[in-house]
Amino acid sequence: MMLFFLLLPPLLMFVASFSRSPWARRLLPISSFAVLIPVALLFRLPKPYELWGRYLVADDLNTYILLLSSIVGIGVTLALLTLDRHVKISTKALYRFYRFFGLFWIGLSLSILANHMGIYWIGLEMATLSTVYMIKTNRSAAAHKEAWNYMIVGAIAISLILFGIILIYAASKPILGEQAMLFDALLIKAREIPSPFLFEMGFAIAALGMFVKMGFFPMNLWLAHIERASFYPVAALFSGILESGVMAGFFRFSRIAERVNYDHLFFFVFAYTLLTIFIVSFLIFRAKDFMRLFSLSGIEHMALIALFWVSGGSFAALLHFGAHAFLKPALFLSTGVLESTGRYHFAGALRGYTGLRGKLFWFLVGLFMLAIVSIPPSPMFFSELYGFAAMIDDAKHSRHLLAMLGAIALLLVLLSVIFYRFVAIYQSMKYEGEAEPKKVYSSEVLALAIFAVGLVALLLPSSTAFLKGIG
Amino acid sequence: MVDFLIGLFLATLITALFTSRLYRLLFWYSLNSLTLGLLALVIGARLDDRAMLLTGAVTILLKALAIPYVLKVLSRRFGLSRQTPPGIKTQYAIMLVPAILVFTFYLAEPISHMVQGNANYVAISISSLFLSLLLMIEHRNVAPKIVGFLSMENALFLLGTTATGGMPMLVELGIFFDLLMAIVVINLLLYREEAEL
Repeated sequence: MMLFFLLLPPLLMFVASFSRSPWARRLLPISSFAVLIPVALLFRLPKPYELWGRYLVADDLNTYILLLSSIVGIGVTLALLTLDRHVKISTKALYRFYRFFGLFWIGLSLSILANHMGIYWIGLEMATLSTVYMIKTNRSAAAHKEAWNYMIVGAIAISLILFGIILIYAASKPILGEQAMLFDALLIKAREIPSPFLFEMGFAIAALGMFVKMGFFPMNLWLAHIERASFYPVAALFSGILESGVMAGFFRFSRIAERVNYDHLFFFVFAYTLLTIFIVSFLIFRAKDFMRLFSLSGIEHMALIALFWVSGGSFAALLHFGAHAFLKPALFLSTGVLESTGRYHFAGALRGYTGLRGKLFWFLVGLFMLAIVSIPPSPMFFSELYGFAAMIDDAKHSRHLLAMLGAIALLLVLLSVIFYRFVAIYQSMKYEGEAEPKKVYSSEVLALAIFAVGLVALLLPSSTAFLKGIG
Repeated sequence: MVDFLIGLFLATLITALFTSRLYRLLFWYSLNSLTLGLLALVIGARLDDRAMLLTGAVTILLKALAIPYVLKVLSRRFGLSRQTPPGIKTQYAIMLVPAILVFTFYLAEPISHMVQGNANYVAISISSLFLSLLLMIEHRNVAPKIVGFLSMENALFLLGTTATGGMPMLVELGIFFDLLMAIVVINLLLYREEAEL
């Protein structure tokens, strides 16, 4: 029953997309808000709570991720109310967007709640396929090309994940039978897996698939181009829900891999994320439009989350994860207004707002721009402090102390490059260029306000205590 | 029998790589899926595994018959080019394919003693995955890329069947469902393509 209520808002969205009544569209934000009721109830239930046998099990980690993705879902539904006022989209395409958004949300809710590797994969595949059409809603040649690109590269990434899952299953089946598909069973028996090499090979391939899906090396620009070519809510869904779903899987797989061989896991993830951030920082330095800038910054943050998580800084990773899940969709949704006077204009993007809604909009976007580069009291400031502390702690126990400290120093240099670029862009947005009038709608400000409240809530003592409890 | 079917599976995929006509490509995909379905039926009958028997039957119905037929209908409806020349010249592809096979057998060597059943089957599954990727990469046209994507699913299915003695039924059904959804999405993408022309 609980599962039904969790999936009801996206199901309603799917059904409502067949209706042409404008009322159906206006009611969707309210039905999306309703998802918070079962999620809040889930927080109060004893964990682990079985939603569908041992296939879908809610624990503290995935309930938290589900809450984040639900809030993003609400924000995007609100922003979709005014999509047709910022971009050229036919009514038919808009309703079809809702249809695939509903499927996307269902798929990722299943992935997030999955305790079963197969269901995790099925949900992810469902979300990937629905995204293809959401990209294609923009009827431009670039969007058409990128939709096919996403279909092909996304299919390769998702196949790599399934390939990894099959190898992990093959490695664990001798001791667990069909239960080798269950994350919790695998975690308990991780140290007894008869062929750890096969498991690690499976993990590495699955992780590679997840990394490609999140735009890590070598696919950094692939994701940025796709987000540039599609309408802005797609990018918000990518960063707030899809990446959360993928990362939920990474958290689960890496917990098991950690017990099989921690050193291998750490060096694999450390080297991969460092390489990704190295490339992304330079791409951010050269970014000339909001979409690519935010997209590349999203890759940097996902790499940091993965790094903090495997370094033992699970609190830092989860705090960073929460902050990213609110900040990035908020920024992506704001591009609808920021780019209303030209796609490639940083200068003056935060000028020209009038009235309460306009002033609130530029104030919130300004805050988000600075919060994303960890200016205190952004949750990202605290998460990075804790994260780097965990990494240094890990380095102290490593046999390669100097190399580790050198790598951490390099990481800090790269993050400074990103910091510098964002602050420069913020200054250009606020103090340069012409103040051209821009139209802001109430639903957009409400969406941003929800994300802002979410960010503040992350810093509450009860929230931090909850996150520390998960680790 | 299993050896023969796996050999046939690989042979049909390799032939598909050299095909330059769309309908012929769909035919080789259909045959590739048929051998996969028969393989699941043979292994299922040997292990007395009813889930695998069902999976084999669904594979034949869906992948060997329905999907190639639907793709043929779609290609006619949207007037897709029936000439699909591979991007890599045949003389280079002839060298590339054995290189991939040798590489994957080398790659699978360390895990040969770790998997249940015949390790060569795992190697063939991995090489099929790489060959399907090659099929996707070497063509510029949309249709062969779709066939490459579907062949990749077949390769993963083969890996699941041979390396693990069959994936759980729930996963198999989920994969079939996703496959159907992929066809719907492909149809929509093609539809839009036509609308723009």
